[in-house]
Amino acid sequence: MSVAIETPARVVRIALLGNPNTGKSTLFNRLTGLRQHIANYPGITVEKKVGDMELGGRKVELVDLPGTYSLAAASPDERVVMDALGGRAGHEPPDLIVCVVDATNIKRNLLLVSEAAELEIPMVVALNQWDAAQRNGLRIDTGLLADRLGVPVVTTVAKRGDGMDELKKAIQHTLGEPRFIPRILWPDFVDEARDIVLNGLEQLGVEATRPEALRMIFDTDSAFADRAGHKEQVPGILRAARARITANGMNPASVEPVLHYRHLEALLDGVVSGDGMVARTRDSIDALLLHRVWGTLIFFGVMSVVFQSLYAWAGPVMDLIEAATAWVQGLISPLFEGMPMVQSLVSDGIIAGVGGVVVFLPQILLLFFFIALLEDTGYLARAAFLMDKLFGWCGLNGKSFVPLLSGYACAIPGVMAARTLEDPKARITTILMTPFMSCSARLPVYVLLIGAFVEPLHGPIVAGWTLFAMHFVGAAVAMPLAWIMNRCILKLKAQPFILEMPDYRVPALRNVVIRMWERGREFLIRAGTIILAFSVIIWALLYFPRPAAVADQAREAFIAAHASEPGLAAALEDPESELSLKLDHRIQGAYIEQSYLGQFGKFAQPVFDPAGFDWKITVGVLSSFPAREVIIATLGIIYNLGADVDEGSDDLRSILARETWHDGPRAGQPVYTLPVVFALMVFFALCMQCGATVAVVARELNWSWAIGSFVAMTAIAWVAAVLIYQIGSRL
Amino acid sequence: MNKTLGEIGHDQAVEIVAISSHCGRAGRLAALGFLPGCRVRVSRVAPLGDPISIEMAGQEISVRRAEADLIEVKEVA
Repeated sequence: MSVAIETPARVVRIALLGNPNTGKSTLFNRLTGLRQHIANYPGITVEKKVGDMELGGRKVELVDLPGTYSLAAASPDERVVMDALGGRAGHEPPDLIVCVVDATNIKRNLLLVSEAAELEIPMVVALNQWDAAQRNGLRIDTGLLADRLGVPVVTTVAKRGDGMDELKKAIQHTLGEPRFIPRILWPDFVDEARDIVLNGLEQLGVEATRPEALRMIFDTDSAFADRAGHKEQVPGILRAARARITANGMNPASVEPVLHYRHLEALLDGVVSGDGMVARTRDSIDALLLHRVWGTLIFFGVMSVVFQSLYAWAGPVMDLIEAATAWVQGLISPLFEGMPMVQSLVSDGIIAGVGGVVVFLPQILLLFFFIALLEDTGYLARAAFLMDKLFGWCGLNGKSFVPLLSGYACAIPGVMAARTLEDPKARITTILMTPFMSCSARLPVYVLLIGAFVEPLHGPIVAGWTLFAMHFVGAAVAMPLAWIMNRCILKLKAQPFILEMPDYRVPALRNVVIRMWERGREFLIRAGTIILAFSVIIWALLYFPRPAAVADQAREAFIAAHASEPGLAAALEDPESELSLKLDHRIQGAYIEQSYLGQFGKFAQPVFDPAGFDWKITVGVLSSFPAREVIIATLGIIYNLGADVDEGSDDLRSILARETWHDGPRAGQPVYTLPVVFALMVFFALCMQCGATVAVVARELNWSWAIGSFVAMTAIAWVAAVLIYQIGSRL
Repeated sequence: MNKTLGEIGHDQAVEIVAISSHCGRAGRLAALGFLPGCRVRVSRVAPLGDPISIEMAGQEISVRRAEADLIEVKEVA
């Protein structure tokens, strides 16, 4: 038996190109299965999906390019499709393009294909959603279409997997025997305009391809012209080129689509016949779902199910994960008996950290289950249509609703859900505003403080309204902030909000599951590792330096204070006795005070003094930067109640109410006055005290955005807390 | 006097006369098939008055009125 040793041939690359809503990603999932991974294109926020496919016993690489209606590029994000096809800016050019064309809307879909033909790369056309075209009564002569295009045309139904073998065969055949779609024949004035640009750029020493030169002319705000630099000369060159087009009676902004559509009209003559039935079905469903009253009610119904699932249904699973974390801690801890530092690192740092990552998974999976469902049925576009007006004024758009709503349960899935926004400017703004929404981890803080201070003074009704109002503090700050960001900070060009209302379709379960799996894995690998690192760092700051003398002093002080109690020595012998527990809590409190974070809290207290926070609150605030809900446990430890208190604890509430300033100008006065309580709650409402959110924002955008928004939110929270305390205590 | 698409009432059929702007947003509308000579209809208006949904050649595209104003139309019988 001989073993054939193949020389490692160059990887064959295939790109998937197509409009949004053509089933392109479904086709990608069909061809690659789970052998895919997601990365970001360098420098921009567009995600790059790459997968492997078997082709005639050989592995080829498949790239799913972002869905787009045209190669026009006003931003670096949009430039990526053309760069990927042209092998520019560090991309490897594909050996073949699979053009995914929606069979129910061939002409519009072919515009992009016709534009891409300029690049002279072999192509295969997949006429997808063939079943829908047939159902709609469209008759398409695929043989004639293939003749006219000069490349293989394969009919597919990616959702069901129909036509995949034929598509693979056509790809393999075309790789061996390249076939091209002929370029459009431009009128002379376009060729002249293009030569003006190419010659002008050559004199400046700028390298540009012929298709890029065309894009610079056709796209009013061209990202290719931006890249060419020479901001003094290039606009003049483009003006001269566009003047050539205007002189021939055409609008440079629309000349390209006009000529392409004219070309396609001739090309499709006799290819498609029959009238689409789909418009009527779509129309009657839209009449209900986009109805002023019923449509709005259904929208709120659908969204409340999504929200309820994140807020309530995910709860039991999250509790289970937390219980499992505790169980594993209990199981592992004894293995490190006698090594308290290692024991604490493994138990409180690593296992708690892993648990703190996995605990987000139920919400992420649930949200992406719903998003896949809403997107694939076509409802997400309708939801965006209904809500757009509410968000448009501050630079967000209708698609911001789902991420922001999810943010009320948890910012992590919310930030990830912003992937559904195509417009980079609106997407960045949505991501940065989502952490302002009042997530469920803020609730314990509100419940503790309102229960301890508002309810006893003003009764349960005022307390209830206060809790309700606290949920809108973040949103009330976020929306004007989004407006300011859009005007002054984000230098990206505004994109029009153009939304295609796709036909209603039954979603494919396989696709939904792949989407959930892909997002969950993404989160665990990319964000999870960072969250775990945060967890270990904070553990170290709370654990070290831990001199033994601290425990001894706390013990002596405790014994001295309880010397009068009978049977003290015996009680302390018994680790289960009440006094022993109290002593343990006292020692924990002493350790946290002596830890690096405790020392830093005392050191940093003057920073928070204008907001009325004493050093204990400051340590609580600082320790909850990795996860805001931690403040309850930290306060429990600081006030010598141990870490097991919850927001309903009467002990904690009464201790807070009794707490007074020990020294300074306010000595003897209570620490927790109403202005302090509200300053603290508003601080929690506005501050990004969540390491996981920072990590996910960094993953979705980049580290500068993540750190920038962290700093900005902390600053805003501090200013708001100081204002509330200063004004409140003078009233 | 021609109107813009943004000024057209619900359910009215019109014909596109021109893309009246040279800005980049006009190019995007043209790429979707909003071209002179094309017949369109404002099929729906969002509950809050904006955006509007346009039916064109069997497809349904939603745009904000600000963008629809870039398209010059005339009424057809």
